Amino acid sequence: MNYLEVANHPLMWTAAALAVGVVILQSIIFAKKSYKTGKDIGLTEQQMKSAMKTSAISSIGPSMVILAGMVSLIVTMGGPIAWMRLSFIGSVTYELMAAGFGADAMGVVLGKEGMTEVVFANGVWTMILGSMGWLLFTFLFTHKMDKLTKVLANGKKAMVPIISAGAMLGAFAYFNADRILGFDAGALACISGLVLMMIIVYIQKKKNITWLREWGLTIAMFGGMLIGSLI
Amino acid sequence: MKNNVYDNEFIPSIIKYGRITLFLGMLLALGPALILALHFGYMPPIGAIIAGTLAQMSVSGAFYVVEPISYFPILGIPGTYMAFLSGNLVNMRIPCAVAAQEAAGVKQGTNEGAIISTLGIAVSILINIAILSIAVFLGSSVLASLPAEVTRVLNLILPALFGAVFGQFAIQRPKLGVVAITIAGFMTFLLKQGFLSFLPGTPSYAVILVSVFGTIAAGKKIYGKELQGE
Repeated sequence: MNYLEVANHPLMWTAAALAVGVVILQSIIFAKKSYKTGKDIGLTEQQMKSAMKTSAISSIGPSMVILAGMVSLIVTMGGPIAWMRLSFIGSVTYELMAAGFGADAMGVVLGKEGMTEVVFANGVWTMILGSMGWLLFTFLFTHKMDKLTKVLANGKKAMVPIISAGAMLGAFAYFNADRILGFDAGALACISGLVLMMIIVYIQKKKNITWLREWGLTIAMFGGMLIGSLI
Repeated sequence: MKNNVYDNEFIPSIIKYGRITLFLGMLLALGPALILALHFGYMPPIGAIIAGTLAQMSVSGAFYVVEPISYFPILGIPGTYMAFLSGNLVNMRIPCAVAAQEAAGVKQGTNEGAIISTLGIAVSILINIAILSIAVFLGSSVLASLPAEVTRVLNLILPALFGAVFGQFAIQRPKLGVVAITIAGFMTFLLKQGFLSFLPGTPSYAVILVSVFGTIAAGKKIYGKELQGE
């Protein structure tokens, strides 16, 4: 397949690296500012270090899932695009769909016969333009959305955590319902993760075990995975 | 005094850098497509680009608006800038943010909570990019040689993670947890039975909207009375 030579060309790596660089830059700037402000508003270094450690631990499981899905993207769209798109905006499902639509618009099935360099390029355009809406909307409106939270909270600061919890429970209740109503291994994994996490949080609140706070989510996600894999 | 630093210095500078990096992101995202067109000379017909993009927009269009609005109460200003630039919101950024808050012992929706979740999201982005980079430079051959059984089991991490995040919050606000799963369960049932197909595109955005804002409304009713005393 000829187009993959272009797809994996050093110039494509360079272009992808620039985009990934912006994401890295943003994370570093935001982390530095947060760390400094955190100290100013009275968070301890220990709290912040524990938060970062926990996030690092909790990132491993989801990253492995992304890796497993990355293969299909590498073989169809090449390394640079797969690397850039999964570090930047997208998710495997979205990217494969968008690349597919792009190829389809030129009458070709993604990665199959007739996949020329131009068809590949159309897949790339579709992936990029199709995800621009999220960036544009957040670019234009994020700084105004605080008003939305204030309206929802009727202007009461004490109400804001309840609004957050409501949003969180509502969103994840949907992801749970979606999985559970599949009545398969995923449903069992989902329910197991839920029950395990409830037990972990209960024990941790009672006994105040620090390492359990940091590893709790990871234990629940891998535990749920293992139980789900039994059927 | 304490909150002045957060509201008057931190947030304005986050908005400034957030918008700059998002703008840069939008420009640089086009990089590979422009290299293909300008250096290699592979430019698809404009009609094909538009057709592909429109097909994708018919699926994603509603989510451009629904997702930032629905997740904003969870992510706050810094988290929204980061999560929408780096993607993988529900499977990684939000779980890492809440796990970090749990570890630091801070509440969501407070200034302290926002600082901690920003740190958590930043770390998760850097770790994710590091892992992806190692994997992609090792080459797809290593990834492709993963046995199908391993991939099948790995795909169960995600539903387990969704369950765990829900469980973590539900145990702290059990009444609201029951309300949330009832609303979401009913809406998902309607979606799966095709009762929402009168809506354009992929109507799961309607399920997200109703679940999130329905649960918020219920939360205000349930806990509003407790707050009266404060």
